[in-house]
Amino acid sequence: MPLSITEQNLRQLVDTLVKERKLVVGPKLTDGLALYQPLSSGQELSLAKLPRRSAKELFFPICEDILSFEKNKQGTTVNDVDRSHFPEAVLIGAPPCDAASPAILDAVFSWDYQDPFYLKRRERSTIVGIGCRQGDDACFCTAVGIGPDSDNGSDLFLTQLKGGGFACSVVTPKGQALVDSHASLFGEGAAGQTRPFEGKLGDKLDLAKIKKWLDEHFEDPLWESIADICIGCGACAFICPACHCFDINDEGGTEKGTRRKHWDACGFSKFTNHASGHNPRDAQNKRYRNRIMHKFKYYDDKFGKTLCTGCGRCIRACPVGIDIADIIGTIEAK
Amino acid sequence: MNAKAQKPKGTGIDPGYYDGVTQAIRSAAVKLLQEGEVATVVGYLPGRRNGTAGPALVTSVEQAQKLVFSPACVNNLSLYLTKAKKGVLKPGRAAIVAKGCDLRALAGLMGEAQFKREDVTIIGIACAGVYRSATNAGTPLTEATIAWKCRECTVHTPEGVDVVAGTLPELPELTPAEALEIARLEALPQAERWAYWHEQFSRCIRCLACRQVCPFCYCEQCMCDRNRPQAVEGSPRPAGNTAWHITRAMHLAGRCAGCAECERACPMDIPLNLLNRRMAKELKELYDYEAGMVPQEKTPLTQYREDDDQSFIK
Repeated sequence: MPLSITEQNLRQLVDTLVKERKLVVGPKLTDGLALYQPLSSGQELSLAKLPRRSAKELFFPICEDILSFEKNKQGTTVNDVDRSHFPEAVLIGAPPCDAASPAILDAVFSWDYQDPFYLKRRERSTIVGIGCRQGDDACFCTAVGIGPDSDNGSDLFLTQLKGGGFACSVVTPKGQALVDSHASLFGEGAAGQTRPFEGKLGDKLDLAKIKKWLDEHFEDPLWESIADICIGCGACAFICPACHCFDINDEGGTEKGTRRKHWDACGFSKFTNHASGHNPRDAQNKRYRNRIMHKFKYYDDKFGKTLCTGCGRCIRACPVGIDIADIIGTIEAK
Repeated sequence: MNAKAQKPKGTGIDPGYYDGVTQAIRSAAVKLLQEGEVATVVGYLPGRRNGTAGPALVTSVEQAQKLVFSPACVNNLSLYLTKAKKGVLKPGRAAIVAKGCDLRALAGLMGEAQFKREDVTIIGIACAGVYRSATNAGTPLTEATIAWKCRECTVHTPEGVDVVAGTLPELPELTPAEALEIARLEALPQAERWAYWHEQFSRCIRCLACRQVCPFCYCEQCMCDRNRPQAVEGSPRPAGNTAWHITRAMHLAGRCAGCAECERACPMDIPLNLLNRRMAKELKELYDYEAGMVPQEKTPLTQYREDDDQSFIK
């Protein structure tokens, strides 16, 4: 049965979830910068701007402690992080390019090793996605098979209506549970016409064709021509909804310390630096090649998915203007 | 921190001016490549998206004919001449397109022996200003979208270059923004100023775009990458972030040329150039030194003189 929710009730839903001691995360503006942040009330939810960083950090934080250790006369003790305290969470207001990413990342975090941190957070989270109504010329979700109305990865999906408010569709049992437990906030029946998307939508790219080219062109002059200008920062990877490489560091003193897992990026020259000093990716264009290969070939080889949701963040943020949509478009045209 | 309170005022810069610079760059670049004078021209090419432009290492006449200059040409290209980018330029001489602020960086890099003047042909732009952020591309250049450094620019006219590209149009009167922001922060009680920076640094994600885009951050071993022993916590947490940004500001004191690329590149909008400008002010007050257009081997913090101010030793 079609459902709807008014904007006021959506904000009320946030308030109610906060009262229930759930961690509610959604786009929030601070000094003009939109970020996914814990919300303390529904009023803080801001749906006008795509947050600067993706929503992946709800499941895969920028930095988290994975254990702590202490050395004393009795020996060394190692303390695990108590994951039973991870809160029940609701991610609210994620557009399709962000809502889609956890479902893509599940594959790698539950592959040869079951990452208990990521998976526990995933298990305890519900994603309320929202259809996107506004794009710019960096957006390319349609090129990678997602779209402004795509509910991939959402548990409950909202579509903005012309007269305000949202049509809701339940996508998963988690979404159903959220609706059932707050039924009074939802109305029944479609509540009006969908607000149209403002902006231009590109065509879907032939991802199989791109992958085939990548299969055969590990060595190609293209890499130098597009990526010799790459400066080797991690901006693209860190704000990406799908990049998920991390580093592990022991930090602290000689007596005690903490083992921390934090974001890493294949653009960094130290990323593949071996202890011997040898670096198999010894030039920046080889590091950038890895970014493209991982997204459009390796991840597909391994998990049958593309590791890109077309949010365009890396295009907007790249200090030297490297444009991944242009690059995959160029490859497809070859 | 931004100029949102002000109503955007058009700069009134004649758009034809940018076309003039573009033509001058193209003809200089084509000639240099055709005559075999240089193997590479480091310049700007248009991007796919409306009004965008980005760095390009141009090696053919065909590409050189596409070089541009527009308000979107925000990058300081001098970093491509440093050892951090070793190997990306074709063997042979290089030419570089440089705005006045970039020329200061080139002078600083020559002072630090990153390259020799005779190895580089400099195409200096008579520069009227660029955007504050590449995301402004395609919008009119207004007081709100022009870079803060341009609002206080003293180097519109390139000096000591091989080719001057373009003619300066009539320049608009722009009000300073960065100087006012520095003054505002300096006037705050220390605890509030600390709280301000703590909040800014807490947003840092350690993508290191500030370091990587900086022409002067060419160290082969950055102290923030050291892990045996660790000098600065590598994980993005407030304490390590603060240590990183303060250390970087100190290491750039007396070297930073004020291109503000670190601030522009920061995906988290941390106003990093305020730190660098504040340090520059310190250098000016203590040693009457400022980054200029003439390469200097010995700058205040790389030499000792008996008459140096020592009042800070307590």
